[in-house]
Amino acid sequence: MSLKIKVEQKRVYNFFRRRARGDSPFKRLIIHIVLILACLIAVYPILRVISVSLRPGDRLLSTSLAIIPKDASMQSYYKIIFEKDFLLWLWNSLCITVTTAFIGLVLAATSAYAFSRWKFPGRIPGLLFLLTTQMIPAAMLIVPIYVLAVQLNLINSYRGLALAYSVSSIPFSIWILKGYYDTIPRELEEAARIDGASQMSTFYKIILPLSTPALAIVFLFNFMMAWNDWILARIMLQKEKIFTWPLGIWTLAGQFRVEWGTFTAASILVAVPVMILFLYSSKWLISGLTAGAVKG
Amino acid sequence: MKKFVTILLVSMILMSLVSIASASKVNLVLWTKEGEEPLDWNKSLVAEYMKANPEVSIELVKKIDVEVLREDFLTASLAGSPPDLLWTVNDHAGPFVAADVIEPVDNLFDLSIFVDSALEAVKLEGRYWGIPISNGNHLMLLYNKKLISKVPEDTDELFAIGKKLTQGGNYALVWNQTEPFWLVPWLGGFKGKVFAEDGVTPTLNTPEMIATLKFIHDMKFDAKIIPPECDYDAADTLFKEGKAAMIINGDWSLGGYMGVLGEDLGVARIPKVVATGEWPKPYTSGVYFMLAKGLSGDKLKAAQDFIGFVASREKQIEMVKLLNRLPALKEALKDPLVTENPILKGSSDQMVVGTPMPTVLEMRCNWDSMKPEMLAVLTDTKSPEDAAKAMQTSVEACIKALK
Amino acid sequence: MSLLTPEVITGSLSQVGSMVLYVFLGALVVEVVVYFVFGKIFKSKYTLPYMLLAPAAIGLTLLVIYPMAYEVRLAFTNMSLRHFRNYSLSLAQGLQNFKLIFAEPVLKQVKFFPLLSRTILWTVINLIFHVSGGLVLAILLNRRMRGRGIYRTLLVFPWAIPQIVAVLAWRGEFHFEYGFINVMLQRIGLQPIQWMVDPFWNFVAACITNIWLGIPFMMIIILGGLQSIPIEFYDAAEIDGASRWQQFRSITLPMLRPILTPAVILGTIWTFNNFNVPYMINKYELETSDILVTALFRAAFEYNRYGFSAAFALVILLILFVFTLTYIRVTGGIKGVYE
Repeated sequence: MSLKIKVEQKRVYNFFRRRARGDSPFKRLIIHIVLILACLIAVYPILRVISVSLRPGDRLLSTSLAIIPKDASMQSYYKIIFEKDFLLWLWNSLCITVTTAFIGLVLAATSAYAFSRWKFPGRIPGLLFLLTTQMIPAAMLIVPIYVLAVQLNLINSYRGLALAYSVSSIPFSIWILKGYYDTIPRELEEAARIDGASQMSTFYKIILPLSTPALAIVFLFNFMMAWNDWILARIMLQKEKIFTWPLGIWTLAGQFRVEWGTFTAASILVAVPVMILFLYSSKWLISGLTAGAVKG
Repeated sequence: MKKFVTILLVSMILMSLVSIASASKVNLVLWTKEGEEPLDWNKSLVAEYMKANPEVSIELVKKIDVEVLREDFLTASLAGSPPDLLWTVNDHAGPFVAADVIEPVDNLFDLSIFVDSALEAVKLEGRYWGIPISNGNHLMLLYNKKLISKVPEDTDELFAIGKKLTQGGNYALVWNQTEPFWLVPWLGGFKGKVFAEDGVTPTLNTPEMIATLKFIHDMKFDAKIIPPECDYDAADTLFKEGKAAMIINGDWSLGGYMGVLGEDLGVARIPKVVATGEWPKPYTSGVYFMLAKGLSGDKLKAAQDFIGFVASREKQIEMVKLLNRLPALKEALKDPLVTENPILKGSSDQMVVGTPMPTVLEMRCNWDSMKPEMLAVLTDTKSPEDAAKAMQTSVEACIKALK
Repeated sequence: MSLLTPEVITGSLSQVGSMVLYVFLGALVVEVVVYFVFGKIFKSKYTLPYMLLAPAAIGLTLLVIYPMAYEVRLAFTNMSLRHFRNYSLSLAQGLQNFKLIFAEPVLKQVKFFPLLSRTILWTVINLIFHVSGGLVLAILLNRRMRGRGIYRTLLVFPWAIPQIVAVLAWRGEFHFEYGFINVMLQRIGLQPIQWMVDPFWNFVAACITNIWLGIPFMMIIILGGLQSIPIEFYDAAEIDGASRWQQFRSITLPMLRPILTPAVILGTIWTFNNFNVPYMINKYELETSDILVTALFRAAFEYNRYGFSAAFALVILLILFVFTLTYIRVTGGIKGVYE
């Protein structure tokens, strides 16, 4: 008797599961159509940039909507790589960004651990302060940061900008890492301490290895933030030879003349690796962003 | 131990020798607003000078456009580390003098060798604040001889010829419809001025301004001889592609057009305004050297020497050849290279009826106030009367804020 | 062309190397100092956390606290172009600045409250579309179907592109003659729109760009949240006879709240303070397209009203601060983070 009920319940359960997941073919079709449309909207502007970058130099402005123009040429790409300092800009960006990501990660990982495991005086104000920093419009701090940087001789060099980036990434990184550390039960550390380990070695040997997803996310975010930033770079780097790529691209899209060919080619060359990196790690992003906010 | 100390001392001595050797070099930092060909000329000037004067080292920094140069110079001065020299446009003198960050040059150079109109454009509070390099920077009427053989003398002719030429994607006339720099010549043609006699009180809500705005509105919506929307890029492209018979553009573009059109490029005055019988008065200025405040000693001497080098007759003629700009040196103006070149003749012909661009601080307010209203009139979203009124309100608020 | 010569490369690497060395040595010095001060002098039991925090704290002091103090001081001066080197610092001057913000046009014509309203309108419009768009897409994606991975990858494109590239590309597409929107409008037979010149359409253009940029982030966050809702809840609700809409209201939305609250707060702050989009899309510097932060930037850099813009910045900060506190109180949703 009870077995029959169980089987019956299972059938009902499965039936509803299928129904509950919206399985009518018509509905599925609509869903696919909507999603395809959304993807087109998401991707079309990038396709346009690609198509302008492939146009031959004398027909950059045209009303044709073809994605691959009739006489597509790699002219703009040659120009941007060989006639402008594009590779130099990328190299500068790379040096600064990688350093930033590491330094920022180290600073945030240690600080977040402090916030997570101790209730020291100044903790709550500290957390509120970190939240407040997110609200400050960057434009507000540009002039004093510039003045300070000049006085500390940090202008026009990697170190000034890298330090600025590392520090500005700290609040967001601490938020994510602290949230993640909070989900790691203290019993693990306590067990290790009973075994004689010091506080810091539990940090290295237990907490950090367990936090690798969050650490990876923080590294990725720091990297993206530093890689894409324009406004801090604008004030800290004034000589063309040390420009990062956002500044470099900005010089191509000047006030009067926009060099469409080289600009779009540069955009594609920059955007593609970034997007690949981003998309490759996108599965982590979902778990990392939500893990910190949802208490397990 | 002894060995260590000896090595330490020797290396310290060597290092100090090296620093003395490099300290004997005078380092100048020069910021320039130029790009493309003029920038190449900057680079070659600097290289040539450094070769001839090995004890001076000049670092040339290119700023993306004049706005960036202005912003960065002020910020750098604020932080106490401005560049030594600037190669820039005359209207930077206004803000820089107000902020007291540049030096007056009357006592440092013999200015009588330069053209008066060029000097007028950097005169403020009775003193001169820049050394002219080139003269002009003015708008003129450029035309494609293949598309139009005889340029209109006045605005009625312009409309008549224009209507015939504007068809099928081709336009009679193109110009940058987004910047008030292109509006002021017509304003001058209608006998209007942006400032009153005292040079600082704005006069934008005047019958002359309204007439000017009406004129450009008619050019677009009645006579229909200009494109519906046209910025600098679009105008430039249309003219280069042969889709526009005439363009109003400045002397900086001459090099580029000569490269594309060659012999077919013609230069003339912007057509006379029939209603007043006056030639339009484009703003003339030029490109100037400016010195950062506090420049003194060896650096000042080196700067003076370099400026003298660039302002020499030889280099001025070189500039004419390479860039098609009118020289600021009086002597160079008499050179046959200038007087017999038809393009330059046309250019200086236009300059004669031009008017020096005001360089006072308040001028910026004028530009900023005129710009959106001009755009509004050209998109038919405001009437000329309303636009002029709005301009005046804007500029008064802006000037008030400058106090 | 600047070749990446070996000199250039070694130069950069040595810069990087020396920087890392300085940071390392600096941190070491700081740690030693903190250790002695807190450990030996104060004998605090919190020595270790303070040591962990010290480098970050110093960095933030230099990058945030000192500049903020500078700006607060600047807000009480009349520093501008005319008063560049000799400006006056006083309480009265500060009050004057604050008065000016509300009484006079900020730049030329627009005054503070219209500017604030426009900023709020901008934020609200963007956020509504971001959240609803993200919600719809996340719900559609939250099922087993073919091509789900591809859809998710493609839909994340706007977020993956560097923002400055995306914004300048969109600005190009709003070009009157050559931008694809106007080209398509003309092909359908409609009149092309003057995106860059007409105040209303320029605002719309900025909104379109920012909405396009912001939906993926919300979508990803919501998708993560949806995936953590146990399916049994829905099944139980089905059995009880609840409709899809009722399920949405009583299961989905409440369970998404812990995720949505911080996302909405961050989204609001980022949108409110968004500089790149309104600044770049506003090609001809129409004052009607400015929001608070772009007006702040212009006041500081284009009009050189340093004292005034510092006061202005403080006002903006205050507004955001009040908003955040209110939102947290009202929704009570963020307590968890600060425990």
